[in-house]
Amino acid sequence: METLGIWIAAFLTLCIYSFLYRDNPFYRFAEHLFVGVAVGYGIVVQIHQGFIPFAWRPVETIISGEASPMDFIKLIPIAIGMLFFARLSPRHTWLIRYPLAILIGIGAGAAIPNVLQADIFAQVRGTLTPFSQLGTLGAGEIIGAALMVIGVICTLTYFFFSVEHRGAVGGLSKIGIAFLMIGFGSAFGNTVMGRVALLIQRVDFLIEDWLGTIF
Amino acid sequence: MKRQVPLVLCFLFGIVMILTEFSPHSDSQELYKEVGRWYLVITPFAYVIGVMTLVQVHGTRIRRRAEYWQYSYVVFAGMILMVVVGMPTFLNQTPFFQARGISFGLQSPVFEWLFEYVQVPMEATTFSLLAFFIASAAYRAFRARTFEATLLLISALIVMMGNVPIGDYIWNTVMGETPWTDGTSWARQWILDNPNLAARRGIILGVALGVISQSIRIILGIERSYLGGD
Repeated sequence: METLGIWIAAFLTLCIYSFLYRDNPFYRFAEHLFVGVAVGYGIVVQIHQGFIPFAWRPVETIISGEASPMDFIKLIPIAIGMLFFARLSPRHTWLIRYPLAILIGIGAGAAIPNVLQADIFAQVRGTLTPFSQLGTLGAGEIIGAALMVIGVICTLTYFFFSVEHRGAVGGLSKIGIAFLMIGFGSAFGNTVMGRVALLIQRVDFLIEDWLGTIF
Repeated sequence: MKRQVPLVLCFLFGIVMILTEFSPHSDSQELYKEVGRWYLVITPFAYVIGVMTLVQVHGTRIRRRAEYWQYSYVVFAGMILMVVVGMPTFLNQTPFFQARGISFGLQSPVFEWLFEYVQVPMEATTFSLLAFFIASAAYRAFRARTFEATLLLISALIVMMGNVPIGDYIWNTVMGETPWTDGTSWARQWILDNPNLAARRGIILGVALGVISQSIRIILGIERSYLGGD
């Protein structure tokens, strides 16, 4: 089974790499198979880790007659979730707004405190904390901390569109662009290295694992 | 009924999530957990919409004999194969499959085999394909015609060279007589920890403020595009 798996994986790998020459039936086959398999995997995971434990088990408990009156409340979200199937009937499609509104409401409500804590307080704390330890920092770290504050303020100024970017604001905004360019450059560099690492891994698979089964 | 009720539901669930987050009372924490459970129950049903749309799109392609319609069968074949192997765990108890050592579900050897030898290789190869296209994109983006493009080019080069041993090898060969060693990886780390982090923090703070304002607009019913037309 392992050898068969290696041959299939190698065939699909070469199918996808054939796109480097040009679009062709082998690439299209692998591309469509990937979509199908990925969606199938998603369905199975959603069913086993989402639907069965959270929706099916409560229904099972009620059917078996072991349910307490409180367990019947668990049927409400299941009924609301089933409203998604209203999409199948053009006259009742509007009903999917109910579960959608609940999901969006929960998401928006959960986002506010979480984003405040994780993205605003934590980032501001991380930017300012080094200044509370100035006495213990070396020259390099002090320069780094100052650079951090300048960079954050200038980057935010660049994204502040309520004021025209002229004079002092324009100057800060230009420094912000410089910081952003360095940030984008390093993000690009990291992305390239990540993709190249994946390429090396695939080539290594073809040479070591696949050709290893032949020679 | 069609618009007001969803807006009220969105407001109620949004407010409950905010208030219960800040209230340590046990009832409040219970309510928070219950609403979270509702989210987990409803989400798998939302996935159905995505699958239905995919089936509709490919079904239409086959029916209309659109260009490359034959490949839509490959999509269905891949999807059905994974579902047939991964779903019917109840068959694991049947004597027929037990006698033959065949099992179904997420932990079944066949499902794991399909994941390991079909899905993972295709995913990794598709992402690695981008290494080639990113190189041509870099050629166009990195023509250092302006000061900003030069900064982008230099920081990307330092980060890339600092990531691989040859970067430090070149540095140590050229700067062999000086006391500074491994300067390329040091420069890479300095860029990542200082100017890069400053820019990222600026972006994160901006995005966070945007998320909060958009969430408030959604909860208050000012932003209602998710309701669609009619």
